[in-house]
Amino acid sequence: MSQLTLGAVSRWYGNVVAVNDVTFEVGPGITGLLGPNGAGKTTLLHMMAGFLAPSAGDVKLDGTPTWRHPELYRRIGFVPEREAVHSFLTGRQFVEASARLQGMDDARAAADRAIDMVDLQSAAARAIGGYSKGMRQRVKVAASLVHDPGTLILDEPFNGMDPRQRLHMMDLLRRMATEGRTILFSSHILEEVERLSDRVLVVVAGRLAASGDFRRIRRLMTDRPHRFTIRSSDDRALARELLATPSVEGVDLRDGLLSVNAGDYGELTRAVAPAAQRANVSILELRPADESLESVFSYLVRR
Amino acid sequence: MILTLASVSLRGLLNRRRTLLLGLFGALVVLVAVLFQLADQPEDEALAFTGQLLGNFGLAVLLPLVAVIVGTAAIGSELDDGTIIYLLAKPIPRGLVAVVKFVVAWVIVVLLVCPPILVAGIVATGGDPDLGVAYAVAAGFGALEYTAVFLALSLVTSRALVVGLAYVVIWEGAVAGLFEGTRILSVRQHALAIADAIGGEGAIEAALEVGPALVVGVIVTVVAVVLAIRRLERVELRGETG
Repeated sequence: MSQLTLGAVSRWYGNVVAVNDVTFEVGPGITGLLGPNGAGKTTLLHMMAGFLAPSAGDVKLDGTPTWRHPELYRRIGFVPEREAVHSFLTGRQFVEASARLQGMDDARAAADRAIDMVDLQSAAARAIGGYSKGMRQRVKVAASLVHDPGTLILDEPFNGMDPRQRLHMMDLLRRMATEGRTILFSSHILEEVERLSDRVLVVVAGRLAASGDFRRIRRLMTDRPHRFTIRSSDDRALARELLATPSVEGVDLRDGLLSVNAGDYGELTRAVAPAAQRANVSILELRPADESLESVFSYLVRR
Repeated sequence: MILTLASVSLRGLLNRRRTLLLGLFGALVVLVAVLFQLADQPEDEALAFTGQLLGNFGLAVLLPLVAVIVGTAAIGSELDDGTIIYLLAKPIPRGLVAVVKFVVAWVIVVLLVCPPILVAGIVATGGDPDLGVAYAVAAGFGALEYTAVFLALSLVTSRALVVGLAYVVIWEGAVAGLFEGTRILSVRQHALAIADAIGGEGAIEAALEVGPALVVGVIVTVVAVVLAIRRLERVELRGETG
């Protein structure tokens, strides 16, 4: 059972603060690290994997600082975000080389197992240079878990994968988590994190904005109004009708677009069609305006 | 473990088109020797010409050019494209990674520089191996120094190739030729001293004694390798995004 601990960790590059006074612990199970691009996710993960020194605070795996302790890599598997892999090697050679560099005796068998796990047997004999994005991701994952590490750190592991590969990878990570491993992965996609992790860490602008059970964080956010934009054949008539609906808290007709603020998501979606019928208006488009991750974050940060 | 590290590094360097083009440069030295031999020169002139060819082209141009390209790429290219992370995410001390990379780069430089010098020496003298052997051994020693210096340079600056070329042209080419006192710190002069000591007739008369040249050469190599180790131990990998 491995435990990653961050104590009052900050990291700055020159004048730019990338990570600001972050404290948390990650234990066995799957933890998702969620944040918009540029929030400091990669900096955090690289510090946890021992590739960056914290400017302040400490980053430890089971009590040992990760920076400048290469022997810890026997227990850590790391999947970087960058796509570049030694492109002249075949998938099998790359995974097998990883096993040998880990000092494993049965490197060949271990490589076979890892390649099986990520479902890459059919492409294992080809040079990585010719791989698709999704295949590169999978070969990186295979190389990172070839030595059966207790801790797995993955930076945007689902990038470039198609939906089927994504599901397969999620299953694999779930399976590894039930075996007692500590798995931490980053993503800027809310849905990926929601489907995979028991626990999330939300980082915004270098700070830890929220942590804990994902569903609880979501529930905390339901008190903010939901915002929709609508395009229709007569926005003004529809707006008049919608204002009469109890769940609607306000309408806005700027920029040739009808925006609606509603207190309850479900009630509004049910009310739109009857309102349009009463006003004799056709709806061309109805979309939630603030479901993007960034708006969720900005909401979390304002709290 | 070390063998795997070495073979991945070797394949990485040999896969670069630049490295292969350098093989053609070596062939050029041999070609010049062949053309000279076809012109059918008297023997003493042949020895003098061979000394000039191997010293002023082999040691002064071919060796530093190959060494700067291979030496700065040995770790530098993997730092640039980010693949170094797969070597550093292993339970191997970074110092060992640096040393293995240095040895691999040196072997490649030797393979690209020494055989052409040896062959060109034999061809240009019409079959006498003495000068070829002397300059090939000298090149092997010079390769040790140059490779170490350029490897360290690639960990100090991200513009190692440009800085390295400037060093070869300005320091090795111009300054060490103009000012006698600076020659003790010139890799090319060290190599010439070794060639002169082994080579006998026809070799360029070196400005340095072989003893001091060897001592300073070894010191330069060790200092550069230690610097490379220390720099690699402190290298931070940030990734592409914050």
